[in-house]
Amino acid sequence: MTVTTEILQIASYLGAGISVGIASLSAGIGEGYTAGHTAHSFMRQPKAGDSLVNSMLVSQAVTETGAIFALVIALLLIFGGFTDPAGGWFKAAALLSAGIAVGVGSVGPGFGSGYSGGQASKAIGRMPKQNNAITGNMLIGQALAQAGSIFALVVSLLLLYSTPNQPANATLGEVILKCAAFLGGGLAIGIGTMGPGAAIGFVAGRANDMIGRFPKERASIIKTMFLGAAVSESTAIYSLVIAFLLIFAI
Amino acid sequence: MEQIARAAALLGAGICMGIGALGPGVGEGFVAGKACEGIARSPENASLITRTMLVGQAVSESTGIYSLVIALLLIFST
Repeated sequence: MTVTTEILQIASYLGAGISVGIASLSAGIGEGYTAGHTAHSFMRQPKAGDSLVNSMLVSQAVTETGAIFALVIALLLIFGGFTDPAGGWFKAAALLSAGIAVGVGSVGPGFGSGYSGGQASKAIGRMPKQNNAITGNMLIGQALAQAGSIFALVVSLLLLYSTPNQPANATLGEVILKCAAFLGGGLAIGIGTMGPGAAIGFVAGRANDMIGRFPKERASIIKTMFLGAAVSESTAIYSLVIAFLLIFAI
Repeated sequence: MEQIARAAALLGAGICMGIGALGPGVGEGFVAGKACEGIARSPENASLITRTMLVGQAVSESTGIYSLVIALLLIFST
């Protein structure tokens, strides 16, 4: 069965929907968690209002990152002109997989960044004087947590722009093989960054909370946070390696 | 038929590494978060807490490494 423009459009539109839909879910929950804790802290410390709002807005902007990546990929899928039937089934699988990768890959980082921001607001409400230390640590933690969504974006862009077209003489077996490899690569990096992203956000959130309670131990808390986040990141890197192998070495 | 089996192996490798990375990631992050909390509360035990954290994370990591090994086997030896 040959590929027509319509089939590539179906794959692109499906990929675009999956990507934005799933990515928005966690970004929304994360930002709501941050805003909820900010409102609660406002009640405890009305005088810290300005620094609370600043911290909340910065945190929400970083939490939004994954959803913005997904939006960019979705717009590329819809308007990027990937409808040349010469791409064949290879391209259809790559388009769908690009959407899955960035959509599912943004879930963990969204939850993690939101948790980190919420705990930071809570800590600022308790210790308004430590505002700068807490916000700084929150941003470092969120940046570490967002690494997963950046991995997913890279895999997604590679799937869109660096995958080969289907050769004219490809057998059915080769087509199935390559499509499965592309879909597997997208699923590997997508699901694989969920755990590490959420977990690094949890580490950063606990560190924010504790810097608010015990500001004197800041140095050793940040050291432990980095060490723990680095170890948690390892499985996301394994997933990235497997995704690259599936996309380029098959 | 052989290629369909291999295609299933490749799809399986992706799913295996993806879902296999979920558990260790969450687990290791939980350990690290609680270690931050412990060090803040009792700084004098910092080295003991860090050591326990790393041992716990190493054990949690094992299932992630199993997934990696199985994914590589599925890719290269089927």
